Parts: sequence; C-alpha cells; structure tokens
Amino acid sequence: MKLFQDVIQQMRALLPEQPALSAAYRSELCAESGDKNAILFRSDTAYELGGSGKPGVSSVLFGETGAAQDEVLVFGKDLCELTQDTAFAHLTIVQLKEHSEEDLRYEQLKEIGFRLFQLYPEGYHIRVSPSAGREQVRVAKDALAGPAPLSFVNVGCSLIRLLREHEDVARVQTVFITGEGADYAVLAALARKAKSITEAVQHTLELGELDCASCKMKPICDEVDGLRELHLKREKENRNHGT
Amino acid sequence: MHTVTFAFTGKGGVGKTSLSAAMIRLLLERYPDKKILAIDADPAVGLATALAMQPPMTLDDVRLKIAASIDKGETADAVALLSEARFHLLDCMDERGNLSFLAIGRPEAAGCYCKVNAYLKQVIETISGNFDFVVIDGEAGIEQINRRVLETITCLVLVSDGSQKGIQVVSTIQHVASRLVQCEKSGVIFNRIRPGFALPAAQELPPVLAVIGDDDAQAQNDMQGESVFSLPDDAPLLRGAAQALDALLQENRP
Repeated sequence: MKLFQDVIQQMRALLPEQPALSAAYRSELCAESGDKNAILFRSDTAYELGGSGKPGVSSVLFGETGAAQDEVLVFGKDLCELTQDTAFAHLTIVQLKEHSEEDLRYEQLKEIGFRLFQLYPEGYHIRVSPSAGREQVRVAKDALAGPAPLSFVNVGCSLIRLLREHEDVARVQTVFITGEGADYAVLAALARKAKSITEAVQHTLELGELDCASCKMKPICDEVDGLRELHLKREKENRNHGT
Repeated sequence: MHTVTFAFTGKGGVGKTSLSAAMIRLLLERYPDKKILAIDADPAVGLATALAMQPPMTLDDVRLKIAASIDKGETADAVALLSEARFHLLDCMDERGNLSFLAIGRPEAAGCYCKVNAYLKQVIETISGNFDFVVIDGEAGIEQINRRVLETITCLVLVSDGSQKGIQVVSTIQHVASRLVQCEKSGVIFNRIRPGFALPAAQELPPVLAVIGDDDAQAQNDMQGESVFSLPDDAPLLRGAAQALDALLQENRP
C-alpha cells in the first residue's frame, strides 16, 4: 500500500543495513501464551524495554515488507543480552492481500493494528499507549533463565501468527530495536505520521469527512501520496450512489 | 489463584485506614511470599501515608488523561481505550517487594465520584487475580456498596467507634451489603472504644471480630506522620487487627 510506503522507507533508512538477528516465521518458535490480565511485578522483572523514561516507540504500518517470507528482525541486543531498562522501538509492517488493498476499509486496518494489544507472551508484559504511540515491556527474570531464554524471535513469531490469522494479511515483518543505536526521536515522529495517515483514512472512509476546508486532516492528506486519491475515489463512489 | 479480598468500610473517622494498614502489615509479616494489593478507595486519601507509599499517579489521573484524549478528538475506540488504561495502570502502582499500592485519587470536580468508582470497579475485577490478598480501604458510608464497586469480596470488615452514629452506619451498610455484595464473611471491628462501652445486641450486627481500645502508640504515630510499620508489635491496633485476621482467615487462606 503506497500510503505508508514513504514512512516505511524513512524508518528503514534509520536502521543499520544488516540486522543483528533475522529469523523467518516458524510456528514452533512462538512464545508460550500468558494470561491477558497478568501483571508482571517489578520484583519479578529483569528490566523494562522503554522503562525509566527511555524511548519506547510503537508503530504498525501497512505496506510492502520487501521480504519473501514472514520474518522477525532484531537491531541491537536481544532479550537475553540486556540487563537493564533500555530504549526500544517495535515496528510492524503488514502487507495486505491485493484484493484487500483495492477495497480498503478503515475497519480492516483497525482490526489488524489492534492485534498488537492481544499479544500476551508469557514473561513479556507488553503495554501500549495508542495515543502516545508508546510501547513498554516488562521482561520477567524467569523468562530469561534456563537453557532456552525468551527471545525477540519468539515474541515476533507470536505476533506474526496473530496477524496472519486475519484473512486480509499477506505478509508480516516485525522489527525490534534496542539500545542507543537508533534515532528514536525521528522514529517516534515517523510513528506519529503513520498514526495520522491511519486517522486520515478513518476520516475519509469511516467518518465520510470529504469537506477539505473543514477537515483537520488536510495537511496530512496534502503531504502523503495516495490519501488524496482515496478521497477522490470515495467522493466518486458517493456520487455514483447518489449520496 | 484464590484471591482473598478484604474491604474496610464504616462511618468517617472511625479508623478504617489505620485498620486497613494494620491488616496489610500483618499479611506482609505472616505471608512474606504472597502478593498483596492495597487499594486506597477513599477519596480522603490516607492509606498511602499509613503505608509510606507514594503512587506516581492515581486512577482518577488516568481516567482524566483518557477523557482528555477523547476530548482532543483522538480515537475513542473501546479496544484502544482499554489498551491506554492498561498502559497507565502500572504507572499508578507503587510497588514495594510483594506489596503493590493503588489510589483512587481525589477527583477535583465537585460532587460526583461515579465515573472514577466505575473505573475502580473495572480495575479491581481485572487485576485482583494477580494477588493473593487484596485490601481495600473503602470510602466512608455506603456509596461504594450502593454502586457495587465492592461487588464480590471475601471479607467485608465493618468498622465502628462506640458512638450510636457509628453503629447505625455499620448496621445500614450491613443491610445494603446483604442485598448488593457477594461476600463470604463479614464482621465488625469496634475501634477506639472507651471503658464502659456495651456491645450492641448480637442480632443487630454481624459477628464482632475485635474490640480495640484507645491506642496511644497509634495516636502518637499519626501525629508524627509515621507509617504503620513504625508501630510496636504490641500496639492495641495491631493486636486487634490480628484478632480480626485470625477470625476472618479461618477458612480462607490462599
């Protein structure tokens, strides 16, 4: 989908050429599911990704993953290599099936994007603030102990499985970034832009807001390729239906 | 996990907060490996001081934050709002070892506490399963019982002083709770009792869990702004709370 493509490219440009770790999706790599109401207490927590006021960027984007398979990429240290609260970003690129892109619905983007809120890996307590585009994760001491400690690959595979269960999802790439290597301020700004694009889609497709003069989304529609076309397409559909 | 929930309620100024704090101290001492959640559900906000806890945010702060984002025209989708609330919940929680603390806060708008009480109810239902014990220092009077904020609890602890008003309030709460609250046990603690006090007739109230006299150590503690953890082990407040705990936990150990 070209709506988010520019943002995705700018995000990719902020990352090193090669990830520290990449893994193709395999169902057997998925993390064990935990209880959705479980709280991971501070006393049981090894560290918090995005904790202690450090950046914690979260974004779900819709576009080309550029990969031939569903995959997890890790830039920076993996979970078992971290020892303290650290800056963190989690970006997920969802490629929709072709027919879904042609018949884009806001409801569809929402349903897919909200799946991140339904991810409850055991020992990995995720909390997401949609309004702030922020994600923080408490990682359990227990999850890092033993011969097979929890890895971003396990968490990423769980998310991929959850997303691929949606009928409109063709491919997923989920990217975890830790440490001081990335420019989190720019990533956060791009995540906000992605959120604005989704909101503009909502305004056009769900709320039927087609009067640009009174619409607060006009600046983003002017800036992002594809939003104007979506708007015009909707207008034409309305004309054809006589509304 | 079987969670045992204690809710303290009664007339204002009878010592609910001190007794809630004493109960929490005893639970921490007796069950050092168990998780305990203390909830200050009284807008008068005293349990934090009694436990020397300092939550960075209150539940009302979270509610206002979410309401403000809706007013700004940001998404009001239920799933997103739930995620937002879950995100901030840990920010509201002050954690010390196995003790976690949440405060309802003091809504600044005059009058109505309905919204924050409704939010408190949801929070209690959602997270209490993570804890072995939940101790709720309730608001004075019957509002939280009436609103069914305290709908399912294990032990309803009614607190009264020796005054007729105190006993009347406890009797009313007991009456309302018998219709609106599912609780396994209830009982009364008479606190700050002077010599010559006669227990009311047994049929008017649930069983008496403890009778506690004037407590100089507690009064001194309060004056100095010290927490319940500074009280000597033999303080009447702690002895009374221990007696009540023994009676309530006879069949309810997690």
